[in-house]
Amino acid sequence: MTMSWRLEAEAPAGRGTTARRYRLANGLGLITALDRRAPIVALQTWFRVGSRHERPGATGMAHLFEHLMFGQTENLPPGEFDRLVERTGGESNAATWVDWTYYRLSLPARDLALGIRLESERMQHLVLETGPVESERDVVTNERRERVEDDVDGWLDEQLMAHAFTVHPYRWPTIGWMEDIRALALPDIRAFYRTWYAPNNATIVCVGDFEEPALLELIESHYGGIPPAQLPAIDTVAEPEQTRERVVRAPKPIATDRLLVGYKAPGQDEPDWAVLEIVSTLLAGCPSARLYRRLVIEHEAASSVDAQLTPFRDPSLLRLAVTAARGHSADELLAVIDRELAAMAEHPPSAAEVEKAKALAETDFWTQLADVDGKAEALGHHEIALGDFRKVNTLAERLAAVTADDVARVVRTYLVPARRTVVIAEPEAPDDGEDEA
Amino acid sequence: MSTSPGPATGPTVIVEASHDTPLVWFDIAIRGGASMDPRGVEGLHRHAALLARRGAGRRERAELDETLDSLGAALDISVTRDAVSLSGLALSRHLDAVIELAADVLAAPRFSEDEHARLLRETPQVLDEIRDDDSALATRWFDWLCCPGHPYGRTSLGTEASLQQIDRATSIALWRREVVADNLVIGLAGDIDDAAAARVVTRLTERLPAGPRPWVVLDGPGEPVRGRRTILVDKPERTQAQLRIGHLSVRYGEPDTAALAIAEAVFGGMFSSRLMQEIRVKRGWSYGAGCALRRSRLPHWFEIWMAAGIDVAGPAVALTLDLFADYAARGPTDEEFDFARSYLVGAMPFHVATARQRMQLAVRDAVFELPAGFTARLPEELAQLTAEDVRLACRRHLHPDDAVIVAVTTAADAQGPLAQAGGGALTVVDHDEY
Repeated sequence: MTMSWRLEAEAPAGRGTTARRYRLANGLGLITALDRRAPIVALQTWFRVGSRHERPGATGMAHLFEHLMFGQTENLPPGEFDRLVERTGGESNAATWVDWTYYRLSLPARDLALGIRLESERMQHLVLETGPVESERDVVTNERRERVEDDVDGWLDEQLMAHAFTVHPYRWPTIGWMEDIRALALPDIRAFYRTWYAPNNATIVCVGDFEEPALLELIESHYGGIPPAQLPAIDTVAEPEQTRERVVRAPKPIATDRLLVGYKAPGQDEPDWAVLEIVSTLLAGCPSARLYRRLVIEHEAASSVDAQLTPFRDPSLLRLAVTAARGHSADELLAVIDRELAAMAEHPPSAAEVEKAKALAETDFWTQLADVDGKAEALGHHEIALGDFRKVNTLAERLAAVTADDVARVVRTYLVPARRTVVIAEPEAPDDGEDEA
Repeated sequence: MSTSPGPATGPTVIVEASHDTPLVWFDIAIRGGASMDPRGVEGLHRHAALLARRGAGRRERAELDETLDSLGAALDISVTRDAVSLSGLALSRHLDAVIELAADVLAAPRFSEDEHARLLRETPQVLDEIRDDDSALATRWFDWLCCPGHPYGRTSLGTEASLQQIDRATSIALWRREVVADNLVIGLAGDIDDAAAARVVTRLTERLPAGPRPWVVLDGPGEPVRGRRTILVDKPERTQAQLRIGHLSVRYGEPDTAALAIAEAVFGGMFSSRLMQEIRVKRGWSYGAGCALRRSRLPHWFEIWMAAGIDVAGPAVALTLDLFADYAARGPTDEEFDFARSYLVGAMPFHVATARQRMQLAVRDAVFELPAGFTARLPEELAQLTAEDVRLACRRHLHPDDAVIVAVTTAADAQGPLAQAGGGALTVVDHDEY
């Protein structure tokens, strides 16, 4: 290790692999994990900036950067970033969510130095001019049309967040409202870049086939001279407790009712989040899950049911998404959900049922670590959203400690109508037949 | 990797060991697939396969699901044009128990009357979900119309009418005919050694009925469309047009496979490709734009896709057809050829990085009846190619003048511009007709 790096933490990251976190004097974080099964590396740069760091009227800014960051820099002409990566056989992509943005390079191991050079270049020298910004703005509006305007699931998701959260920034969509995307101003875009794209707001995650001393030296040479930024204090407004049910309905050109329910849940780092993760599995996370069995198999009232507990830093949502079968309504589905939750609240599940969910969680834990990209994503998310990559392992321990009584308690506490937001899309009524005269 | 055709009678077995996680993946491919559904009974293979997974051995569906979930395992059925696949994931300490359940599904499915009837009621709901999804809907219509009569034009899901022709006895007969050891490709990957793999293969096949591998009989190759035609699938309130443009092309594994891989990459297989640059980067008309030669056992489609804003749907189709015509005639430049070859050769390690990926590629090659290691050896073939080889392949296998264009969009807004886009005669159909 060179003198400039400080080793801060280390922990297992799968069988025979140790992940380590280092830090440079300018605040840049680095998490490493060796994996020599193949001559490749996953090089991800995570920034602590997501849609929660935007302001009303300028939503979609963080996501817009997911596009702009592949553009021209002071030392790379337009398109050169992608060409240099693709010529190696590698791939680049990015993702933005509420708590973070990350940039992903999958590279042949021999091209790791190229990846580090490219990432450090765009952290410092991105060129933000009218032409490329307008071009990417058009692309993003089309992305939004594809994922929201013309996609009923995207619409449901957006409406859920908009109504479940009243003051917290989670209430606006990560891709941004269409009118905001169209109005984002160049000076604000430049200011956003200067504010958040800095070494002390970033952590690099490198998993794969590399020599750690050489990696440390390489990153230090490309990033060590970048000054830290003055990061704004995070002043997130706390979401007030939800005390009554919220319901949104709208007609859509669909075949049957779609139902999306979001119950207010604690953040991923809170003790009850792990319990709710087990509840999510028991409700709709496997073929033997209660709601799947009841709604799809026994009542044949739904064609699909899905449960997801969002892994947010601040209050999350336990979401139930159900597609009604022909001849059945969203209200009917909701009544079945209520009965099932009431039963689970009153009578704790058997120990065997809880053990089933834990077994599935164990499989999920190992699955996320099965390839270098997945391992890097797991480390990066826990480091950025929860503050410590080692929570990958502690979450597994939290899940393993859940009891049947815990399950009943959190169902009684969180999965009640007063804490939920319901979004329903209904088939449009047949037209008046004016074309058939 | 070990690959063997098995003894005189027996499955093809592929084992890829890797002990970095305590997980074992398995893929059991039953050769045949939806392209072998009888005409008018589309959906039969899918129906039989899903039914087999809904109760086997002494366990009804609920008990089978409960037992698998309690082991932390997954056991899923899927159907492609070329195979039915039983895919599983197990913690290695539970592998034997999970394999017993998989063996029950293969050898002793219950084919319950109740589940048969339930599945017939369920499948039309899946059709509804496809109609609600513009991208899936565009693909369904394109598959149907790209080359009428081709086995791959046959929907694996079925239609409202064909589902009514499926009966339980035919499903049972299909399973018994096709699930014989000779007809299986068994792939195992992960925390498993050769001795354990041999035991697993025995357990999976020892109760299967004896019988020859069924002869794969397919209808003729269909009737490739001559001249361009456009089908507008009318759906209300669209802000975009989901577009599919293409035609019947060649089989993956043909002598030109490597050349076509480069042709595909240059035109629409990378971010730097022509389609992405012209449609997205220069004009911002679509979030994505790409193309692919579909990989299958038989000749399949060459297909272009994008989702253009409804206000530019016509210009997007016109430009794409112009780009396609130019590319088919001239092929890649020398510079594009060098770039794409470098990309494809460099990308191969990502496709074979994990034991599971290597196993899945080998299973796919076996289902396609390609020589063992065919795909993994493509970089060697790429190294031998010249730019002229790729240009010749483009001229031989890309047919822009016979392209079928499918657009899922709102006719009231897009019909006029699409009719003027150079896509031949335009037909409007309602989105829930098929």
